[in-house]
Parts: sequence; structure tokens; C-alpha cells
Amino acid sequence: VFPSEAAKYEKKVMVLDFVTPTPLGTSWGLGGTCVNVGCIPKKLMHQAALLGQALQDSRKFGWQFPEEVKHNWMTMTESVQNYIGSLNWGYRVALREKKVTYENAYGEFVGPHTVKATNKRGVEKLYTAERFLIATGERPRYLGIPGDKEYCISSDDLFSLPYCPGKTLVVGASYVALECAGFLAGVGLDVTIMVRSILLRGFDQDIANKIGEYMEEHGINFIREFVPIKVEQIKEGTPGILKVTSKSTKGNEIIEGEYNTVLLAIGRDACTRKIGLDKVGVIINEKTGKIPVNDKEQTNVPYIYAIGDILQDKLELTPVAIQAGRLLVRRLYAGATTKCDYVNVPTTVFTPLEYGACGYSEEAAVEKFGEENIEVYHSHFWPLEWTVPSRDNNKCYAKIICNIQDSERVIGFHVLGPNAGEVTQGFAAAMKCGITKEQLDSTIGIHPVCAEVTTKCGKSSPGTAEVKSPSLVFQSDTA
Amino acid sequence: MQCPIYVYPGYLLAWGLPRRGGLEPGTAAVGLAVGCPHPTYLILLSPQMAQRLALRQLLSLAPRTLPPQAPVARHSRAFSTSANCKSTFNVQDGSDFQDRVVNNPKPVVVDFHAQWCGPCKILGPRLEKMVAKQEGKVLMAKVDIDDHTDLAIEYEVSAVPTVLAMKNGDVVDKFVGIKDEDQLEAFLKKLIGA
Repeated sequence: VFPSEAAKYEKKVMVLDFVTPTPLGTSWGLGGTCVNVGCIPKKLMHQAALLGQALQDSRKFGWQFPEEVKHNWMTMTESVQNYIGSLNWGYRVALREKKVTYENAYGEFVGPHTVKATNKRGVEKLYTAERFLIATGERPRYLGIPGDKEYCISSDDLFSLPYCPGKTLVVGASYVALECAGFLAGVGLDVTIMVRSILLRGFDQDIANKIGEYMEEHGINFIREFVPIKVEQIKEGTPGILKVTSKSTKGNEIIEGEYNTVLLAIGRDACTRKIGLDKVGVIINEKTGKIPVNDKEQTNVPYIYAIGDILQDKLELTPVAIQAGRLLVRRLYAGATTKCDYVNVPTTVFTPLEYGACGYSEEAAVEKFGEENIEVYHSHFWPLEWTVPSRDNNKCYAKIICNIQDSERVIGFHVLGPNAGEVTQGFAAAMKCGITKEQLDSTIGIHPVCAEVTTKCGKSSPGTAEVKSPSLVFQSDTA
Repeated sequence: MQCPIYVYPGYLLAWGLPRRGGLEPGTAAVGLAVGCPHPTYLILLSPQMAQRLALRQLLSLAPRTLPPQAPVARHSRAFSTSANCKSTFNVQDGSDFQDRVVNNPKPVVVDFHAQWCGPCKILGPRLEKMVAKQEGKVLMAKVDIDDHTDLAIEYEVSAVPTVLAMKNGDVVDKFVGIKDEDQLEAFLKKLIGA
């Protein structure tokens, strides 16, 4: 995005994009994490899992087909990779159309205003420029235990894995871990998640636990408060069999398990350590590798800017990086002054039960405003589409957090249910306009849709059961 | 679809075919060769037929049909080896493109395609078939845009499939996307005739 935007203002622009292969040799084309090993393949595979569930539901709606419906991993992966291939090419074309020079080479600073680009054949070239933008992103972290790099895979490898992963152990409790575990189970695999402490750190914990419960009820095994200490190969193959030895975080208990695949999703590290930042004096956070920038995305070196997941204390989301980049270029070359607004950025976690959020979590709201100054409204709901197949009654949930001292302005929005992203997007715009609870209540709901629950949330009184969905007169529990 | 033709002089080598009193030379049979997903056509040749076939190949003539003088059994049919193997080729690199496309005295259609492109997998074989029908008057070069990105960029390929008609090194015609057989035939005839 940024090169195309800058080229619009007739600046000569060059892009250095290089993917260091994973320990297992996986690599990919132009487009960054989101396109190749993030949002795009993740959402497509999540869709594959949802379609599996839809197939099961469809019988109750009259569709007839033989008992067993199977999933083919290779067919799914090939389709997903084909789409990604078309996106990679699309970006090449877009760069060319905007006359941006593209080099598939590893860039690192060697001196002021100078960068060295090394291609995969080892050929080095030097380039100088007036300004530089670092957007190198992150890569999955490994555990640092015996066997991790040799036998474990990460999300970098998963989306193009040339064989079905089989019985999988997912290590981690990040959204990456839960989303991947979710769709792997959704396409019929035996999945276990090993969690060191809590789920979805940084997200509303009440909702995080509901997500975990839902996944457990739907057949995903959880091993809580353990960490792997050793991975060994029992049998070679695609997939082979791996033995994982794990230790409790609370004592000395040791457990062992056998899996076809071990997927590590324990965090991502910024790619800022080996690009020569020390040669030009760019300060990074030594512990995390992230780059602190001012509100204009400028590093401590005036001609070097940074964007995206590598920024310290900023949200790691594709649209945030894109927006920040666009505004940065307009500020630099079109005389604009608008800075990127990092407040009330909506997001969605594509776990089997999807979670859309915008604004404060309940914990963060209590911390910032004080428990007595916020009001939490909530409601469970049962999507109409799930009534006929008679499943997951009273699992979906919406929560709206309001600031009492500011006309009950909505400061936190959380929805757990199907199409959570679609429901949340419009709400984020409403929050940007400063919507209050009163305005929300006076908005008439659309019926029968999940989103109408937002117009019906009630207060939670201490000690009472949670508010059940008011739109249903009766609920049948017969299968 | 470029199915290989296996010719076995003298006797039947095909695995799995019934030997009911043997088969006459010139008889065609269908079987599955190991490693090839397409049905493979086997033609039995007598030693004389095999000799003539070798001679034809030596003289670089595509052995499209068996020589009429060969003793052909009543119930056999001659299969075309499909001039595919001669009129279609994959471009190896920039200089290969220069030699075999730009500097080719014959007109060449260039099929820019990609592994990840569904429509390309439909257009490719269809175009090959129609090119083969033109009996050598036009050739077809295939370029994978991810393997030969520089070439694709040089010829301003944005979407695939993109097919260029080249004559004496110049692009004289072009289309993007799938076309049916009649449209392809017209495209090729225009290139040859012009």
C-alpha cells in the first residue's frame, strides 16, 4: 500500500521484500503476513470449518446426503494457495503500474541513508534514499526446547502444508492458536490445545472463557497449565508421529502425548534485530524488538519511519498498518496533517464461535474509569438459524460497556456469535460518532438477525442469572 | 492433454490386457501406463512398421498416422500422436523466448498462464488443440508468469490467461480470459492469414 501511495505523488519508490524461509523451508510471495500466512488463509480455512458445520445443520433443513461427509485437506489447501498466488501477482502488477521498483532481496542498513539488498543467490546491491519505511513485521516464536525447530510447525507452515496435519497439538492460547485449533477441529481433526495460563491475553477475559468453553464442548481437548519441554520424533512421515513431553507450571508433574503434528503459536517476534538498525542509530526495545515511534510513525532517526506489527504499543492489525501508512505518505508528500486514530479500532477473532470487539474490555474499563463509573449491559442470544438444528442454545452473547460519567457513552462493545465481524463493523462507526446507551436503545432492531441483540441488552444485577434472549418465547431442547 | 503413444514392436507388452489369441499388429488398445493419469493408447507394430516409424521420426516428420503401406488389421484405427508435441512448447528463459518466439519465421501464440489460475487450466489444453488443428502453420509457446516474471512484465501481462499473437517479433493480436473453440479458431486463422 505505502509504495503505491507514495508513487502517486511522483516519488521514486523501491520495495525490498524478502521472506526468510521457515526452519522447514516454507516461503511465500509478495504481500506480507496477512495475505500469505495470516488473515486471508486463516479466514478461508475458518470458512471451510463453518461449511462443515453448515452441512451438518442442513440435514434438519431437509437436505439429504449420505451419512458420512469427509474433508480433503489437499483440495482446501490448493484452493487457498491458488487464491493467494493471484493476490501475490496482483501486488506485482500494482507496483509495476505505479512504477515502484520491486526487489526480492533482504534489506539491511549499512550506513546513513544507505541500504544493502541481498537476493536469494547472495548478490548484493547498495541503494540510497531520502527516506526509509520499515515494515518488516514479525515471525512466529519457537519454544527453545529440544526438537522444536526440527519437528514443530508454525502458522507460517500450516496454510501451505502439503499433507493433512492429522492429530494435532496446538501450543499456545493466542488468537492464532485458538483460530487454528478451531478450524483444524472443524475440518474433522483430533485437536488438543496446550495452554500455559490464560486464553486470549489482552482480550475481555469473560468472553475469552466463553470461547474456550464453546471449543471444549465441541470436541477440542484442553491441557491447562502445562508447557512442552521436549519434542521427539517417533516415526518419520507426512505426517509422522511426534512425542511431546510437558511439565506442569504449578508443580513437577510430567505428561507425555503422541501427535502427528505440533503447531507452535506462542507469540511472534519483530524482525528488527538483523536489519542493521544499530548502524543508523534507530532505537528499539531490546526486550521485545519493537520500535517506539511518535504519533507520526517516525523513529528517533528523522528520515526513518516504521509501520505495522513492529511498532511498540500499537495494535497488530492489517487495517491499522494500512491506514497508518496511507496517512503517513499523505503527511509527507501531500501536505496533510491527519494522524492515525488508534482509538476504538474494531477487531474480530475467528474462533469457532466468533468474537467481535471494539473499545475497552471489561477489565480495562474498570481499571481506567473505576467499577462504580461504568455500567455493563448484556444479553445471551440464540441465532434463529441454530434453532432448527437445535444446537448451541444460550452460547451467543453480547456485552456493552458504558461510561456513566459521560452520558453513558458506549466505550466497549463485545459480541460473541456468528458473523461477529459483520456485526461489529457498523458498531465501530457508531462508537466513533460517540453513541450513547440512550441512542442505542432508541435504535430499532432488524429482525430476525443476531445484531438486533445490541438494542436489547439489559443490566446485570449482582447474584442473578444472566439475561436470556428475550426474543424467544420458548426454547425447545429436544434434539 | 498430451498423451504419450507407446509403440511396441513385435508383441504386446501392455500389462493387464487379455491375451486372447494374441493381437494383430496395428491393433490399438487402451491401458494405463504407470505414472500417467490419462488413458494411454498402445499401438502394436510389426518390426517393419517400427522401422518405418523410426525413419519418419528421423526425418523430423510428425508420425501422425501409420504409413498406409503397413499391414493394418481390420479392426484397428490409427491414432494421431497429436502434433502437440511439436507445435507447443514451454519457454525456458528469456533467450529461449527470443529464439523460439520473437525470431520464429512462423507466427506464434504465447499463452501466459499461472499455476494458481483455474481458467488457465481450461484455456491451455483448448488452445493447444486448436493450434494442433492448424497443422503446423502456427506454434504455441507457454509462459508461466511466476517462473518468468520479467517476461510477463515486459509484455504487460496483468491478468491470466493472457494470449498474445506474435508475428515477426511483433504483438499483432491479444486476448485475456477464456475463449471457446470457435473463437480460438477464428483468432488463429486471423493470425495465420494476416
